[in-house]
Amino acid sequence: MTAIELRSVTKAFADVTAVHDLDLTVEDGEVYGFLGPNGAGKSTTIDMLLDLVRPTTGTVRVLGADVAADGVEIRRRTGVLPDGFSVYNRLSGRKHVEFAVESKDADDDPDALLDRVGLDGDGDRSAGEYSKGMRQRLALAMALVGDPDLLILDEPSSGLDPAGAKEMREIVRTEADRGATVFFSSHLLGQVDAVCDRVGILRDGELVAEDSVEGLREAVGGEETLEVAAAGADDDAVAAVRALAGVSGVTRDGDDLVVNCASDAKTDVIAALEDAGVAVDDFHTREASLEDLFLAYTEGDAAERDGGVPDSAPDAADDDPVTEEVDR
Amino acid sequence: MSLAAIARKDFQETVRSRGMIALVALFSLLVAAFAYAVRPTGGNEQFATEVLLSVFIGPVLVTTLVPLVGVVVGYNAVSGERESGSLKLLLSLPHSRADVVFGKVVGRGAALALAVFAGFLLPALVLMVAPVVFNAGAFLGYTVFAAALGVVFVAISVGCSAASSTQRRTLIGGVAIYVLFVILWSTLTGRLVGAASPLVDALPVSATQLRVFLQVSNPTTAVEALSNAFLGQQLFSGETANQQLSAAAMLVFWTLAPPLAGLLKFDADDL
Repeated sequence: MTAIELRSVTKAFADVTAVHDLDLTVEDGEVYGFLGPNGAGKSTTIDMLLDLVRPTTGTVRVLGADVAADGVEIRRRTGVLPDGFSVYNRLSGRKHVEFAVESKDADDDPDALLDRVGLDGDGDRSAGEYSKGMRQRLALAMALVGDPDLLILDEPSSGLDPAGAKEMREIVRTEADRGATVFFSSHLLGQVDAVCDRVGILRDGELVAEDSVEGLREAVGGEETLEVAAAGADDDAVAAVRALAGVSGVTRDGDDLVVNCASDAKTDVIAALEDAGVAVDDFHTREASLEDLFLAYTEGDAAERDGGVPDSAPDAADDDPVTEEVDR
Repeated sequence: MSLAAIARKDFQETVRSRGMIALVALFSLLVAAFAYAVRPTGGNEQFATEVLLSVFIGPVLVTTLVPLVGVVVGYNAVSGERESGSLKLLLSLPHSRADVVFGKVVGRGAALALAVFAGFLLPALVLMVAPVVFNAGAFLGYTVFAAALGVVFVAISVGCSAASSTQRRTLIGGVAIYVLFVILWSTLTGRLVGAASPLVDALPVSATQLRVFLQVSNPTTAVEALSNAFLGQQLFSGETANQQLSAAAMLVFWTLAPPLAGLLKFDADDL
């Protein structure tokens, strides 16, 4: 069964088209990371899953049912951590969870749920006194009520410190192991690759990439980035390196060189530099990261170039020289 | 049940609202002071409770302050949650938008009814110690009518709130409800009947009948008519029985129609 199915969904607001002809499928039991920069249309998409916002065209099905017709029944089996929500300031944390339990006809123990999200001991305080992170935890506790088949988490780590974000990931993992489908959005890739089976990258309301984390890694893989502190490097030295087999690009910023090359070309690069009379003070390599790919998709023009997974390290934004290719 | 869950949630929230507690305390003090000030000094016992309520406290305090509390309790019920974002939390749970609107009418209406009963406690004590026979039945009965008046205004305000997409409209709506029903109704409807007199002549009712109908169409007047009949021990009987029936019908109408109309708009909106 498919947990989430969007077919040709477009949402046009008066001044902007937030989502454009989006097709998206999330299978049962998957952990799906929905990525994109702020304003890409992630929240609008999630709002359509919850029937808060109605699509202009297209169909939205969740847990096999149409959200417009069976919204209440769907939400009975879904746990939601919304983005940009606020709590009921005058009600205690425990009252919030009790309300969710009552609303879902569940039989969870509110205190056990508060415990689980790290709010043990805070249940009697009114939620208006909670910090941003505590509110986020409270909403997560409400989302976990009734062991939902589907968890929809919109920017779940916002407001959480690194330890809190880690606990959030652990809870996502536990829920997935229980068999729940998890769909969550983030504008930060680092929170996603550790827990996701698959990620989709949304940009300007369109899905520009969708793959497993491994698949995305492969797309950027095969190349390494070599960063060299090379005092006295001149244009000739750069040209010499560029001429080497296996080198796909070189950028120079003062005495620092960034070389994109095949893994086995690294020693040639260092040797060529030394032959050109450059003192190599220090160098290190790193794999092109998913972050680079993410930035390329969301800020650069990789998506427009070939409309899918790029065949080599994609162009990155100007402020990210690591993967920038000067010459090919 | 979904509606009941929202009603309970809103009830708990509303009874913790400082604004409402302050208004009810003010109301209670004013009624008590009034009861003390106009307490009968003669030996006419029948004068006591009924006349005090129908002649003094009713027109001066209940029909002005209770609608005010009702509007304050209801005007921001839906739009406030929409503005703050707690509506997202609410609609993440398995509630329909109809559950939200009517759950709020029930929950906040119940909170207001409780507040009215609480507000009449202090005056009741004053009347008990005042040198008159205190008619507890009449007093309690009157409290029920006052609470009903408040509930109707909660319903109207919640309906208006459901239809408001901005804070500005919400505020305008709340003020407009109060001004229309409490201050301007008889002037406006009088003008209306006057202006439409050729049309009225064509109807199979007299202008007077129409005026009476429009009068009891106002929930404030309707409750006044019913409570006065009750205090005169002529509830749904006597000369004005028909008028009382239309008054009661109009109260039901005002309790249901505004939330329904608000829901129509609310249900169609992107939130």
